[in-house]
Amino acid sequence: MLLMLDTTKVHIGKAIAEELLRSGENADGFELIDTTGMHISHCVGCNYCWLKTPGVCAIQDDYEPILRKMSKADQVWLISDTRFGFVSWQTKNIVDRIMPLVTMYLKFKDGQMRHVMRYDHQPDIGIIYTGDGDQAYLERWCQRTALNIGSRSLGVFCDSQRKEAVSCML
Amino acid sequence: MHVVIINGSPRVRKYSNTEKIIAAFAKGLSEKGGTFETYTISDRNTWDIIRDAYIKNDEILIALPLYVECVPGLLLEFLETLPRKDEYTRLSFLLQSGFAEGCQLRCGEEFLAKLPGYLGVRYGGCLVKGDNFGIRILGEEKQAQVTKPYQAMGELFAEGDGFFREEAKKFTGPEYFPLPVRLIVGLIFKTLGKKMFQKAAASWGCSVPLDEKVWEV
Repeated sequence: MLLMLDTTKVHIGKAIAEELLRSGENADGFELIDTTGMHISHCVGCNYCWLKTPGVCAIQDDYEPILRKMSKADQVWLISDTRFGFVSWQTKNIVDRIMPLVTMYLKFKDGQMRHVMRYDHQPDIGIIYTGDGDQAYLERWCQRTALNIGSRSLGVFCDSQRKEAVSCML
Repeated sequence: MHVVIINGSPRVRKYSNTEKIIAAFAKGLSEKGGTFETYTISDRNTWDIIRDAYIKNDEILIALPLYVECVPGLLLEFLETLPRKDEYTRLSFLLQSGFAEGCQLRCGEEFLAKLPGYLGVRYGGCLVKGDNFGIRILGEEKQAQVTKPYQAMGELFAEGDGFFREEAKKFTGPEYFPLPVRLIVGLIFKTLGKKMFQKAAASWGCSVPLDEKVWEV
């Protein structure tokens, strides 16, 4: 399953979904969630999802159904506006709150400390962005973020490269 | 030197590891004649006051925890509310994390090094240090002990060179742990470490395994 999470002000996710539908092959297996109007808080760093209610976020808002879908997805595409060359705070909040998928337990992998994942299946992550994004930095961040959840980066694409991004979804 | 210190952690002040680190840092700063005022962004009601302090002062330090390789979402939101200033203002950072190795913080550091450019201000460097996860669960005496090294960094900062001096760079510690250390610590993670975390969780009222799979995936 492929999940697209759109936080952009101009809702570019819809156009990307149409592009994917035109391309055909993987069209049935995707879901686009436009987060506009949803209440998604920032992570407050309470650590409850690690130490008090393992796997469950303490914040009761619109995020948990999204996280459940992320945990099952093969690909998660973050569709984001940019600020300071980076993803928007709305997108960063979504990413910061993936911590229930991670356990408190630690291990070394490829020479670095990593958290042990809660589930066996992890989604790969890609970014499609609007505005003046710092392409090289976003690529580094996406790779590092994927590393944190034991998956891989699908790549980073500006909005004008949406066809290339869609080709990575198929 | 007068420094506006902004705690960029979303966690409430009482339980903030960053807050404890700032306290030790500010002590060192004071001992070298520096003065400071501190703020925390976790309370949105104070954002106007913090922004005002940012505008009126020219020596700003943002201390923050690493959240998924970069700045916490809440801090990003706050940063968007700041007006553009000029190079008379210097913006420095203290970036801390739970993971212990320096390599874990470099992606976040790269963002912070570029951020002052977007805000129009001068970069004062970034102090980078991991291995801070446990501060909040320690007693007061132990907290003071583990945060004490930051006092020396406060003293260093008071000398005016930001975090560009060699002492600040060395403060990070190892970029990667050597293989023998990884083998030993890795074994501890699998045995004593698990028990220790489970014990900490029990004291928080948790009665299920920390790696419980709560959803069918």
